[in-house]
Amino acid sequence: MKRTSWSSETLLVISMIIIAVPVIWLVITSFNAPREIISRGFEFSMSNYVRLFEGDSAIGAQIGNSLIIAVSTTVFTMAIAALAGYSLSSLGWSRTTTGILLGISALIQLIPPMTLVPGLYVVLQQFGILNSLPGLIILNVLFNLPFATLMLKVYFDALPDSIREAGLVDGASEQRVFWSLVLPLVKPGLAAVGIYVLIMAWNEFLMGLTMTTGGDQAPITVGIASLVQPQAITYGPMAALGSLTVVPIIILAIIANKQIVAGLTGGAVKG
Amino acid sequence: MSAIRRLGGFRFWSLIPFVVVAAVFGIYPFLRVVQMAFGHVSVRGGGMTFEWRGLENFHRALEDDLFHHSLAISGIFVVATTVISLVLGTALAILTDRATKMQNVARNVLVWPAIIAPVVVSVVWVLILNPQIGVLNQALSTLGLPEQGWLGDGVGAMAAIIAVDVWHWTPIVYLLIYSALKGIDSEVLEAASVDGANRSQTTRHVVIPMLLPAIAAAAVLRVVMGVKAFDEMYLLTRGGPGDSTTIISLLIRGIVFDEVDLGYGSAVSLVTIGIVLVMAVLIFAVRPILRRRA
Repeated sequence: MKRTSWSSETLLVISMIIIAVPVIWLVITSFNAPREIISRGFEFSMSNYVRLFEGDSAIGAQIGNSLIIAVSTTVFTMAIAALAGYSLSSLGWSRTTTGILLGISALIQLIPPMTLVPGLYVVLQQFGILNSLPGLIILNVLFNLPFATLMLKVYFDALPDSIREAGLVDGASEQRVFWSLVLPLVKPGLAAVGIYVLIMAWNEFLMGLTMTTGGDQAPITVGIASLVQPQAITYGPMAALGSLTVVPIIILAIIANKQIVAGLTGGAVKG
Repeated sequence: MSAIRRLGGFRFWSLIPFVVVAAVFGIYPFLRVVQMAFGHVSVRGGGMTFEWRGLENFHRALEDDLFHHSLAISGIFVVATTVISLVLGTALAILTDRATKMQNVARNVLVWPAIIAPVVVSVVWVLILNPQIGVLNQALSTLGLPEQGWLGDGVGAMAAIIAVDVWHWTPIVYLLIYSALKGIDSEVLEAASVDGANRSQTTRHVVIPMLLPAIAAAAVLRVVMGVKAFDEMYLLTRGGPGDSTTIISLLIRGIVFDEVDLGYGSAVSLVTIGIVLVMAVLIFAVRPILRRRA
Protein backbone atom coordinates (compact mmCIF):
# COMPACT_ATOMS: atom_id res chain seq x y z
CA MET A 1 0.00 0.00 0.00
CA LYS A 2 1.44 3.31 -1.09
CA ARG A 3 1.39 6.04 1.54
CA THR A 4 -0.16 9.34 0.58
CA SER A 5 2.31 12.06 -0.35
CA TRP A 6 0.58 15.30 0.58
CA SER A 7 3.09 17.49 -1.25
CA SER A 8 2.48 15.58 -4.50
CA GLU A 9 -1.29 15.78 -4.07
CA THR A 10 -1.13 19.52 -3.36
CA LEU A 11 1.09 20.29 -6.35
CA LEU A 12 -1.22 18.26 -8.59
CA VAL A 13 -4.27 20.16 -7.37
CA ILE A 14 -2.49 23.46 -8.09
CA SER A 15 -1.62 22.23 -11.60
CA MET A 16 -5.21 21.21 -12.23
CA ILE A 17 -6.38 24.64 -11.10
CA ILE A 18 -3.96 26.31 -13.54
CA ILE A 19 -5.42 24.14 -16.32
CA ALA A 20 -9.10 24.27 -15.43
CA VAL A 21 -9.52 27.88 -14.28
CA PRO A 22 -8.89 29.50 -17.69
CA VAL A 23 -11.47 27.16 -19.28
CA ILE A 24 -14.02 27.81 -16.51
CA TRP A 25 -13.32 31.55 -16.80
CA LEU A 26 -14.18 31.33 -20.50
CA VAL A 27 -17.56 29.74 -19.74
CA ILE A 28 -18.32 32.25 -16.94
CA THR A 29 -17.48 35.20 -19.20
CA SER A 30 -19.78 33.82 -21.89
CA PHE A 31 -22.74 34.11 -19.45
CA ASN A 32 -21.78 37.60 -18.27
CA ALA A 33 -23.60 40.69 -19.52
CA PRO A 34 -21.43 42.66 -22.02
CA ARG A 35 -21.24 45.84 -19.93
CA GLU A 36 -20.34 43.82 -16.81
CA ILE A 37 -17.44 42.20 -18.68
CA ILE A 38 -16.00 45.66 -19.29
CA SER A 39 -16.65 46.95 -15.78
CA ARG A 40 -15.39 43.70 -14.20
CA GLY A 41 -18.64 42.73 -12.54
CA PHE A 42 -20.99 39.82 -13.13
CA GLU A 43 -24.63 39.62 -14.12
CA PHE A 44 -26.07 36.43 -15.61
CA SER A 45 -27.14 36.93 -19.21
CA MET A 46 -27.72 34.87 -22.34
CA SER A 47 -27.30 37.89 -24.59
CA ASN A 48 -23.83 36.85 -25.81
CA TYR A 49 -25.26 33.62 -27.18
CA VAL A 50 -28.27 35.39 -28.67
CA ARG A 51 -26.04 37.94 -30.41
CA LEU A 52 -24.04 35.17 -32.12
CA PHE A 53 -26.96 34.09 -34.27
CA GLU A 54 -28.54 37.49 -34.92
CA GLY A 55 -29.08 38.99 -38.37
CA ASP A 56 -27.13 37.58 -41.31
CA SER A 57 -24.53 35.96 -39.06
CA ALA A 58 -22.55 33.15 -40.72
CA ILE A 59 -22.00 31.40 -37.37
CA GLY A 60 -24.79 28.85 -37.82
CA ALA A 61 -23.52 27.91 -41.28
CA GLN A 62 -19.95 27.72 -39.96
CA ILE A 63 -20.89 25.35 -37.12
CA GLY A 64 -22.59 23.16 -39.74
CA ASN A 65 -19.48 23.35 -41.95
CA SER A 66 -17.24 22.26 -39.09
CA LEU A 67 -19.52 19.31 -38.34
CA ILE A 68 -19.50 18.26 -42.00
CA ILE A 69 -15.72 18.73 -42.29
CA ALA A 70 -14.96 16.85 -39.05
CA VAL A 71 -17.23 13.88 -39.81
CA SER A 72 -16.27 13.59 -43.51
CA THR A 73 -12.56 13.94 -42.72
CA THR A 74 -12.83 11.20 -40.12
CA VAL A 75 -14.74 8.82 -42.43
CA PHE A 76 -12.42 9.32 -45.43
CA THR A 77 -9.22 9.32 -43.37
CA MET A 78 -10.14 6.14 -41.53
CA ALA A 79 -11.23 4.33 -44.70
CA ILE A 80 -8.09 5.27 -46.65
CA ALA A 81 -5.74 4.75 -43.69
CA ALA A 82 -7.21 1.37 -42.72
CA LEU A 83 -6.84 0.08 -46.29
CA ALA A 84 -3.32 1.45 -46.71
CA GLY A 85 -2.19 0.41 -43.22
CA TYR A 86 -3.44 -3.13 -43.76
CA SER A 87 -1.98 -3.28 -47.25
CA LEU A 88 1.47 -2.17 -46.08
CA SER A 89 1.31 -4.40 -43.03
CA SER A 90 0.04 -7.69 -44.43
CA LEU A 91 -0.08 -7.83 -48.24
CA GLY A 92 3.59 -8.39 -48.93
CA TRP A 93 4.79 -5.03 -50.29
CA SER A 94 8.54 -4.77 -50.72
CA ARG A 95 10.64 -2.88 -48.19
CA THR A 96 11.34 -0.22 -50.82
CA THR A 97 7.66 0.51 -51.51
CA THR A 98 6.82 0.56 -47.80
CA GLY A 99 9.85 2.72 -47.08
CA ILE A 100 9.00 5.31 -49.75
CA LEU A 101 5.36 5.61 -48.66
CA LEU A 102 6.19 5.81 -44.96
CA GLY A 103 8.96 8.31 -45.78
CA ILE A 104 6.49 10.58 -47.60
CA SER A 105 4.12 10.25 -44.62
CA ALA A 106 6.88 11.25 -42.23
CA LEU A 107 7.78 14.28 -44.38
CA ILE A 108 4.16 15.49 -44.51
CA GLN A 109 4.14 15.27 -40.69
CA LEU A 110 7.48 16.99 -40.31
CA ILE A 111 7.30 20.14 -42.40
CA PRO A 112 5.27 23.15 -41.23
CA PRO A 113 1.88 23.13 -43.03
CA MET A 114 2.30 26.84 -43.74
CA THR A 115 5.20 26.11 -46.10
CA LEU A 116 2.85 24.07 -48.30
CA VAL A 117 0.13 26.73 -48.26
CA PRO A 118 1.29 28.63 -51.40
CA GLY A 119 1.26 25.37 -53.37
CA LEU A 120 -2.02 24.13 -51.87
CA TYR A 121 -3.64 27.47 -52.68
CA VAL A 122 -2.80 27.36 -56.40
CA VAL A 123 -3.63 23.64 -56.67
CA LEU A 124 -7.05 24.07 -55.05
CA GLN A 125 -7.70 27.03 -57.33
CA GLN A 126 -6.68 24.96 -60.35
CA PHE A 127 -9.18 22.24 -59.36
CA GLY A 128 -11.88 24.81 -58.61
CA ILE A 129 -12.27 23.76 -54.96
CA LEU A 130 -10.83 26.85 -53.29
CA ASN A 131 -13.21 28.35 -50.70
CA SER A 132 -15.29 25.15 -50.61
CA LEU A 133 -16.02 22.33 -48.18
CA PRO A 134 -14.62 19.58 -50.46
CA GLY A 135 -11.33 21.48 -50.63
CA LEU A 136 -11.11 21.77 -46.83
CA ILE A 137 -12.09 18.12 -46.34
CA ILE A 138 -9.34 16.97 -48.72
CA LEU A 139 -6.70 19.07 -46.94
CA ASN A 140 -7.81 17.79 -43.53
CA VAL A 141 -7.57 14.23 -44.87
CA LEU A 142 -4.10 14.98 -46.27
CA PHE A 143 -2.72 16.19 -42.94
CA ASN A 144 -4.34 13.44 -40.83
CA LEU A 145 -3.71 10.54 -43.19
CA PRO A 146 0.03 9.96 -42.54
CA PHE A 147 -0.24 9.47 -38.80
CA ALA A 148 -3.54 7.54 -39.05
CA THR A 149 -1.95 5.12 -41.53
CA LEU A 150 1.18 4.66 -39.40
CA MET A 151 -0.89 4.10 -36.26
CA LEU A 152 -3.24 1.58 -37.86
CA LYS A 153 -0.32 -0.22 -39.51
CA VAL A 154 1.11 -0.77 -36.01
CA TYR A 155 -2.23 -2.28 -34.89
CA PHE A 156 -2.32 -4.55 -37.98
CA ASP A 157 1.33 -5.54 -37.45
CA ALA A 158 0.41 -6.85 -34.01
CA LEU A 159 -2.05 -9.39 -35.45
CA PRO A 160 -0.66 -12.85 -36.29
CA ASP A 161 -0.50 -13.76 -40.02
CA SER A 162 -2.35 -16.98 -39.30
CA ILE A 163 -5.67 -15.10 -39.02
CA ARG A 164 -5.53 -13.92 -42.62
CA GLU A 165 -4.24 -17.28 -43.86
CA ALA A 166 -7.04 -19.15 -42.07
CA GLY A 167 -9.61 -16.90 -43.74
CA LEU A 168 -8.09 -17.42 -47.19
CA VAL A 169 -7.94 -21.21 -46.69
CA ASP A 170 -11.64 -21.15 -45.80
CA GLY A 171 -12.25 -19.62 -49.21
CA ALA A 172 -12.87 -15.98 -48.26
CA SER A 173 -11.64 -13.28 -50.66
CA GLU A 174 -8.93 -10.82 -49.55
CA GLN A 175 -11.57 -8.07 -49.28
CA ARG A 176 -13.76 -10.26 -47.11
CA VAL A 177 -10.87 -11.29 -44.87
CA PHE A 178 -10.03 -7.60 -44.38
CA TRP A 179 -13.61 -6.45 -43.79
CA SER A 180 -15.07 -9.30 -41.71
CA LEU A 181 -12.07 -10.86 -40.03
CA VAL A 182 -9.23 -8.37 -39.53
CA LEU A 183 -11.01 -5.03 -39.16
CA PRO A 184 -13.17 -6.11 -36.16
CA LEU A 185 -9.97 -7.16 -34.37
CA VAL A 186 -8.49 -3.66 -34.48
CA LYS A 187 -11.63 -1.85 -33.25
CA PRO A 188 -9.80 -0.30 -30.25
CA GLY A 189 -7.23 1.13 -32.66
CA LEU A 190 -9.93 2.44 -34.99
CA ALA A 191 -11.71 4.11 -32.06
CA ALA A 192 -8.54 5.79 -30.73
CA VAL A 193 -7.37 7.03 -34.13
CA GLY A 194 -10.89 8.01 -35.22
CA ILE A 195 -11.58 10.17 -32.17
CA TYR A 196 -8.17 11.80 -32.53
CA VAL A 197 -8.80 12.65 -36.21
CA LEU A 198 -12.29 13.94 -35.35
CA ILE A 199 -10.83 16.34 -32.77
CA MET A 200 -8.00 17.44 -35.07
CA ALA A 201 -10.42 18.22 -37.92
CA TRP A 202 -12.88 20.04 -35.62
CA ASN A 203 -10.01 22.16 -34.25
CA GLU A 204 -8.34 22.89 -37.61
CA PHE A 205 -7.73 26.59 -38.29
CA LEU A 206 -4.82 27.26 -40.67
CA MET A 207 -6.38 25.74 -43.80
CA GLY A 208 -9.77 27.25 -42.99
CA LEU A 209 -8.12 30.66 -42.68
CA THR A 210 -6.01 30.51 -45.84
CA MET A 211 -8.27 28.53 -48.20
CA THR A 212 -11.59 30.32 -47.57
CA THR A 213 -12.69 33.93 -47.62
CA GLY A 214 -14.05 33.57 -44.09
CA GLY A 215 -17.78 33.66 -44.96
CA ASP A 216 -20.32 30.86 -44.93
CA GLN A 217 -17.85 28.39 -46.47
CA ALA A 218 -15.46 28.70 -43.52
CA PRO A 219 -15.24 26.42 -40.46
CA ILE A 220 -16.24 27.69 -37.02
CA THR A 221 -12.62 28.19 -35.94
CA VAL A 222 -12.37 30.95 -38.57
CA GLY A 223 -15.65 32.38 -37.27
CA ILE A 224 -14.17 32.58 -33.76
CA ALA A 225 -10.99 34.15 -35.12
CA SER A 226 -12.99 36.91 -36.80
CA LEU A 227 -14.30 37.86 -33.34
CA VAL A 228 -10.79 37.98 -31.85
CA GLN A 229 -9.86 41.55 -32.62
CA PRO A 230 -7.63 43.57 -30.39
CA GLN A 231 -9.83 46.68 -30.17
CA ALA A 232 -13.33 45.36 -30.83
CA ILE A 233 -15.88 44.96 -28.06
CA THR A 234 -16.74 41.37 -28.95
CA TYR A 235 -15.46 39.69 -25.78
CA GLY A 236 -18.88 38.32 -24.84
CA PRO A 237 -19.77 36.69 -28.17
CA MET A 238 -16.16 35.52 -28.46
CA ALA A 239 -16.40 33.75 -25.11
CA ALA A 240 -19.82 32.33 -26.00
CA LEU A 241 -18.61 30.87 -29.29
CA GLY A 242 -15.44 29.59 -27.63
CA SER A 243 -17.56 27.82 -25.01
CA LEU A 244 -19.85 26.32 -27.67
CA THR A 245 -16.78 24.93 -29.44
CA VAL A 246 -14.95 23.62 -26.43
CA VAL A 247 -17.62 22.14 -24.19
CA PRO A 248 -18.48 19.23 -26.54
CA ILE A 249 -14.77 18.39 -26.76
CA ILE A 250 -14.31 18.41 -22.97
CA ILE A 251 -17.37 16.18 -22.55
CA LEU A 252 -15.92 13.84 -25.19
CA ALA A 253 -12.62 13.89 -23.29
CA ILE A 254 -14.32 12.82 -20.07
CA ILE A 255 -16.37 10.05 -21.73
CA ALA A 256 -13.71 8.70 -24.09
CA ASN A 257 -10.64 9.47 -21.99
CA LYS A 258 -8.99 6.11 -22.67
CA GLN A 259 -9.27 6.36 -26.46
CA ILE A 260 -8.15 9.98 -26.48
CA VAL A 261 -5.08 9.22 -24.38
CA ALA A 262 -4.22 6.30 -26.70
CA GLY A 263 -4.71 8.54 -29.75
CA LEU A 264 -2.71 11.45 -28.32
CA THR A 265 0.25 9.35 -27.18
CA GLY A 266 0.27 7.27 -30.38
CA GLY A 267 -0.41 10.30 -32.57
CA ALA A 268 2.32 12.23 -30.83
CA VAL A 269 4.96 9.54 -31.22
CA LYS A 270 4.06 8.69 -34.80
CA GLY A 271 3.64 12.38 -35.59
CA MET B 1 -3.42 -19.39 -58.88
CA SER B 2 -6.68 -17.51 -58.70
CA ALA B 3 -5.90 -16.67 -55.07
CA ILE B 4 -2.74 -14.89 -56.17
CA ARG B 5 -4.58 -12.93 -58.85
CA ARG B 6 -7.25 -11.91 -56.39
CA LEU B 7 -4.53 -10.86 -53.97
CA GLY B 8 -2.99 -8.69 -56.69
CA GLY B 9 -6.28 -6.89 -57.20
CA PHE B 10 -7.04 -6.03 -53.59
CA ARG B 11 -3.37 -5.49 -52.85
CA PHE B 12 -3.21 -2.67 -55.39
CA TRP B 13 -6.51 -0.91 -54.91
CA SER B 14 -6.14 -0.93 -51.13
CA LEU B 15 -3.11 1.30 -51.51
CA ILE B 16 -4.34 3.51 -54.37
CA PRO B 17 -6.47 6.03 -52.40
CA PHE B 18 -3.51 6.74 -50.10
CA VAL B 19 -1.10 7.18 -53.00
CA VAL B 20 -3.53 9.43 -54.91
CA VAL B 21 -4.12 11.76 -51.93
CA ALA B 22 -0.40 11.95 -51.10
CA ALA B 23 0.60 12.53 -54.73
CA VAL B 24 -2.11 14.99 -55.83
CA PHE B 25 -2.44 17.00 -52.60
CA GLY B 26 0.99 16.47 -51.02
CA ILE B 27 3.69 16.04 -53.61
CA TYR B 28 2.11 18.08 -56.41
CA PRO B 29 1.53 21.21 -54.26
CA PHE B 30 5.10 20.84 -52.98
CA LEU B 31 6.38 20.80 -56.58
CA ARG B 32 4.30 23.93 -57.27
CA VAL B 33 6.02 25.59 -54.28
CA VAL B 34 9.39 24.65 -55.80
CA GLN B 35 8.34 26.02 -59.20
CA MET B 36 6.95 29.30 -57.85
CA ALA B 37 10.08 29.84 -55.76
CA PHE B 38 12.01 30.33 -59.01
CA GLY B 39 9.83 33.03 -60.40
CA HIS B 40 7.45 35.91 -59.99
CA VAL B 41 3.78 35.03 -59.71
CA SER B 42 1.24 37.74 -60.37
CA VAL B 43 -2.43 37.34 -59.61
CA ARG B 44 -4.75 39.25 -61.92
CA GLY B 45 -8.51 38.84 -62.06
CA GLY B 46 -8.53 35.26 -60.79
CA GLY B 47 -5.84 34.13 -63.25
CA MET B 48 -2.18 33.62 -62.42
CA THR B 49 0.85 34.30 -64.57
CA PHE B 50 4.27 32.87 -63.86
CA GLU B 51 7.50 34.54 -64.94
CA TRP B 52 10.85 32.74 -64.59
CA ARG B 53 13.28 34.74 -62.43
CA GLY B 54 15.92 32.15 -61.57
CA LEU B 55 17.46 32.56 -58.14
CA GLU B 56 16.20 36.10 -57.55
CA ASN B 57 13.86 35.09 -54.69
CA PHE B 58 16.61 33.16 -52.95
CA HIS B 59 19.03 36.10 -53.20
CA ARG B 60 16.33 38.25 -51.66
CA ALA B 61 15.83 35.70 -48.85
CA LEU B 62 19.57 35.75 -48.12
CA GLU B 63 19.48 39.52 -47.65
CA ASP B 64 16.07 39.81 -45.99
CA ASP B 65 16.65 40.99 -42.42
CA LEU B 66 13.03 40.27 -41.49
CA PHE B 67 13.40 36.63 -42.59
CA HIS B 68 16.56 36.23 -40.50
CA HIS B 69 14.90 37.96 -37.54
CA SER B 70 11.95 35.61 -37.96
CA LEU B 71 14.19 32.53 -37.95
CA ALA B 72 15.84 33.78 -34.76
CA ILE B 73 12.47 34.44 -33.10
CA SER B 74 11.33 30.94 -34.11
CA GLY B 75 14.55 29.50 -32.68
CA ILE B 76 14.00 31.20 -29.32
CA PHE B 77 10.35 30.13 -29.33
CA VAL B 78 11.17 26.49 -30.13
CA VAL B 79 13.95 26.16 -27.54
CA ALA B 80 11.98 27.90 -24.77
CA THR B 81 8.71 26.03 -25.32
CA THR B 82 10.48 22.66 -25.68
CA VAL B 83 12.60 23.00 -22.53
CA ILE B 84 9.85 24.40 -20.31
CA SER B 85 7.20 21.89 -21.39
CA LEU B 86 9.65 18.98 -20.96
CA VAL B 87 10.50 20.01 -17.40
CA LEU B 88 6.86 20.65 -16.41
CA GLY B 89 5.50 17.58 -18.22
CA THR B 90 8.05 15.26 -16.61
CA ALA B 91 7.44 16.78 -13.18
CA LEU B 92 3.67 16.39 -13.54
CA ALA B 93 4.03 12.78 -14.66
CA ILE B 94 6.18 11.92 -11.64
CA LEU B 95 3.76 13.76 -9.32
CA THR B 96 0.78 11.89 -10.77
CA ASP B 97 2.60 8.61 -10.31
CA ARG B 98 3.29 9.40 -6.66
CA ALA B 99 -0.23 10.62 -5.94
CA THR B 100 -2.96 8.29 -4.76
CA LYS B 101 -6.09 10.37 -4.20
CA MET B 102 -5.72 12.75 -7.13
CA GLN B 103 -4.30 10.28 -9.65
CA ASN B 104 -7.44 9.54 -11.68
CA VAL B 105 -8.77 13.10 -11.74
CA ALA B 106 -5.33 14.43 -12.67
CA ARG B 107 -4.95 12.01 -15.57
CA ASN B 108 -8.22 13.37 -16.94
CA VAL B 109 -7.96 17.11 -16.29
CA LEU B 110 -4.29 17.50 -17.19
CA VAL B 111 -5.07 16.37 -20.74
CA TRP B 112 -7.70 19.04 -21.47
CA PRO B 113 -5.54 21.74 -23.09
CA ALA B 114 -4.19 19.32 -25.72
CA ILE B 115 -7.66 18.70 -27.16
CA ILE B 116 -9.00 22.24 -27.01
CA ALA B 117 -8.96 24.02 -30.38
CA PRO B 118 -5.94 26.33 -30.63
CA VAL B 119 -8.34 29.10 -31.62
CA VAL B 120 -10.26 28.65 -28.37
CA VAL B 121 -6.99 28.57 -26.43
CA SER B 122 -6.32 31.99 -27.91
CA VAL B 123 -9.75 33.22 -26.85
CA VAL B 124 -9.15 31.92 -23.33
CA TRP B 125 -5.84 33.78 -23.13
CA VAL B 126 -7.22 36.99 -24.61
CA LEU B 127 -9.70 36.95 -21.74
CA ILE B 128 -6.83 36.43 -19.29
CA LEU B 129 -4.20 38.78 -20.75
CA ASN B 130 -6.35 41.65 -21.99
CA PRO B 131 -5.32 44.78 -20.06
CA GLN B 132 -8.89 46.07 -19.54
CA ILE B 133 -11.00 42.98 -18.96
CA GLY B 134 -8.33 40.35 -18.31
CA VAL B 135 -8.46 38.28 -15.16
CA LEU B 136 -4.70 38.68 -14.67
CA ASN B 137 -4.88 42.46 -14.31
CA GLN B 138 -7.98 42.09 -12.13
CA ALA B 139 -5.96 39.86 -9.84
CA LEU B 140 -3.05 42.32 -9.81
CA SER B 141 -5.29 45.26 -8.94
CA THR B 142 -6.99 43.24 -6.18
CA LEU B 143 -3.55 42.61 -4.72
CA GLY B 144 -2.75 46.30 -5.04
CA LEU B 145 -0.07 45.72 -7.69
CA PRO B 146 0.30 47.81 -10.87
CA GLU B 147 -1.57 46.49 -13.91
CA GLN B 148 0.47 45.37 -16.93
CA GLY B 149 0.10 45.70 -20.71
CA TRP B 150 1.11 42.02 -21.27
CA LEU B 151 0.89 41.74 -25.07
CA GLY B 152 1.76 45.42 -25.47
CA ASP B 153 5.57 45.26 -25.49
CA GLY B 154 7.92 42.95 -27.39
CA VAL B 155 9.40 40.96 -24.52
CA GLY B 156 6.05 40.61 -22.76
CA ALA B 157 4.36 39.42 -25.96
CA MET B 158 7.08 36.85 -26.59
CA ALA B 159 6.88 35.61 -22.99
CA ALA B 160 3.09 35.44 -23.33
CA ILE B 161 3.05 33.31 -26.50
CA ILE B 162 5.66 31.00 -24.96
CA ALA B 163 3.52 30.66 -21.81
CA VAL B 164 0.39 29.98 -23.87
CA ASP B 165 2.16 27.33 -25.96
CA VAL B 166 3.51 25.67 -22.81
CA TRP B 167 0.03 25.68 -21.24
CA HIS B 168 -1.41 24.21 -24.43
CA TRP B 169 1.10 21.43 -25.13
CA THR B 170 2.71 20.36 -21.84
CA PRO B 171 -0.11 17.75 -21.59
CA ILE B 172 1.36 15.90 -24.60
CA VAL B 173 4.74 15.63 -22.85
CA TYR B 174 2.94 14.66 -19.66
CA LEU B 175 1.08 11.81 -21.38
CA LEU B 176 4.19 10.46 -23.10
CA ILE B 177 6.30 10.52 -19.95
CA TYR B 178 3.49 9.15 -17.79
CA SER B 179 2.96 6.14 -20.07
CA ALA B 180 6.73 5.51 -20.08
CA LEU B 181 6.69 5.75 -16.28
CA LYS B 182 3.93 3.11 -16.10
CA GLY B 183 6.18 0.87 -18.18
CA ILE B 184 9.02 0.86 -15.64
CA ASP B 185 9.33 -2.49 -13.90
CA SER B 186 8.25 -2.09 -10.25
CA GLU B 187 10.92 -4.61 -9.21
CA VAL B 188 13.61 -2.10 -10.20
CA LEU B 189 12.08 0.46 -7.87
CA GLU B 190 11.74 -2.08 -5.06
CA ALA B 191 15.37 -3.06 -5.52
CA ALA B 192 16.37 0.58 -5.17
CA SER B 193 14.40 0.97 -1.96
CA VAL B 194 15.78 -2.31 -0.57
CA ASP B 195 19.25 -0.87 -1.24
CA GLY B 196 18.31 2.03 1.03
CA ALA B 197 17.50 4.73 -1.54
CA ASN B 198 14.83 7.21 -0.46
CA ARG B 199 12.18 8.46 -2.84
CA SER B 200 13.98 11.49 -4.23
CA GLN B 201 17.19 9.47 -4.71
CA THR B 202 15.24 6.79 -6.54
CA THR B 203 13.62 9.42 -8.76
CA ARG B 204 16.89 11.14 -9.57
CA HIS B 205 19.18 8.14 -10.04
CA VAL B 206 16.82 5.40 -11.21
CA VAL B 207 13.55 6.75 -12.63
CA ILE B 208 14.79 9.76 -14.63
CA PRO B 209 17.62 7.86 -16.36
CA MET B 210 15.10 5.19 -17.35
CA LEU B 211 12.79 7.89 -18.73
CA LEU B 212 15.48 9.44 -20.93
CA PRO B 213 14.41 7.71 -24.17
CA ALA B 214 10.82 8.92 -23.67
CA ILE B 215 12.05 12.42 -22.78
CA ALA B 216 14.19 12.46 -25.94
CA ALA B 217 11.20 11.38 -28.06
CA ALA B 218 9.06 14.08 -26.45
CA ALA B 219 11.80 16.65 -27.13
CA VAL B 220 11.90 15.82 -30.85
CA LEU B 221 8.11 16.03 -31.00
CA ARG B 222 8.02 19.41 -29.23
CA VAL B 223 10.68 20.83 -31.57
CA VAL B 224 8.60 19.77 -34.59
CA MET B 225 5.46 21.27 -33.03
CA GLY B 226 7.31 24.48 -32.24
CA VAL B 227 8.46 24.92 -35.83
CA LYS B 228 4.87 24.35 -37.04
CA ALA B 229 3.27 26.78 -34.54
CA PHE B 230 0.87 29.32 -35.98
CA ASP B 231 -2.70 29.53 -34.69
CA GLU B 232 -2.34 31.05 -31.23
CA MET B 233 0.37 33.50 -32.23
CA TYR B 234 -1.62 34.65 -35.24
CA LEU B 235 -4.60 35.40 -33.03
CA LEU B 236 -2.84 36.74 -29.94
CA THR B 237 -0.17 39.00 -31.44
CA ARG B 238 -0.32 38.90 -35.27
CA GLY B 239 3.47 38.85 -34.99
CA GLY B 240 3.57 42.16 -33.13
CA PRO B 241 4.13 44.52 -31.53
CA GLY B 242 6.33 45.48 -34.47
CA ASP B 243 7.86 42.20 -35.60
CA SER B 244 8.77 41.00 -32.11
CA THR B 245 6.75 37.73 -32.31
CA THR B 246 6.81 37.09 -36.07
CA ILE B 247 7.58 33.37 -36.01
CA ILE B 248 8.23 31.77 -39.38
CA SER B 249 4.68 30.65 -40.21
CA LEU B 250 3.38 34.16 -39.53
CA LEU B 251 6.04 35.61 -41.83
CA ILE B 252 5.10 33.28 -44.69
CA ARG B 253 1.39 34.03 -44.27
CA GLY B 254 2.13 37.74 -44.45
CA ILE B 255 4.22 37.43 -47.61
CA VAL B 256 1.70 35.19 -49.39
CA PHE B 257 -1.59 36.81 -48.36
CA ASP B 258 -0.83 40.41 -47.35
CA GLU B 259 1.88 41.20 -49.91
CA VAL B 260 0.39 38.66 -52.41
CA ASP B 261 3.91 37.60 -53.38
CA LEU B 262 3.61 33.85 -53.99
CA GLY B 263 7.05 33.60 -55.57
CA TYR B 264 8.95 35.01 -52.62
CA GLY B 265 6.63 33.27 -50.14
CA SER B 266 7.43 29.96 -51.84
CA ALA B 267 11.17 30.64 -51.70
CA VAL B 268 10.99 31.40 -47.96
CA SER B 269 8.89 28.23 -47.50
CA LEU B 270 11.43 26.17 -49.39
CA VAL B 271 14.37 27.49 -47.36
CA THR B 272 12.38 26.76 -44.18
CA ILE B 273 11.67 23.20 -45.34
CA GLY B 274 15.39 22.84 -46.06
CA ILE B 275 16.30 23.94 -42.54
CA VAL B 276 13.75 21.54 -41.02
CA LEU B 277 15.11 18.63 -43.08
CA VAL B 278 18.72 19.40 -42.11
CA MET B 279 17.63 19.45 -38.46
CA ALA B 280 15.83 16.12 -38.92
CA VAL B 281 18.89 14.53 -40.52
CA LEU B 282 21.09 15.84 -37.70
CA ILE B 283 18.75 14.39 -35.07
CA PHE B 284 18.81 11.01 -36.83
CA ALA B 285 22.60 11.16 -37.06
CA VAL B 286 23.05 12.08 -33.40
CA ARG B 287 20.58 9.51 -32.02
CA PRO B 288 22.73 6.37 -32.40
CA ILE B 289 25.69 8.15 -30.81
CA LEU B 290 23.60 9.14 -27.78
CA ARG B 291 22.20 5.63 -27.55
CA ARG B 292 25.70 4.12 -27.51
CA ARG B 293 26.67 6.45 -24.66
CA ALA B 294 23.57 5.50 -22.70
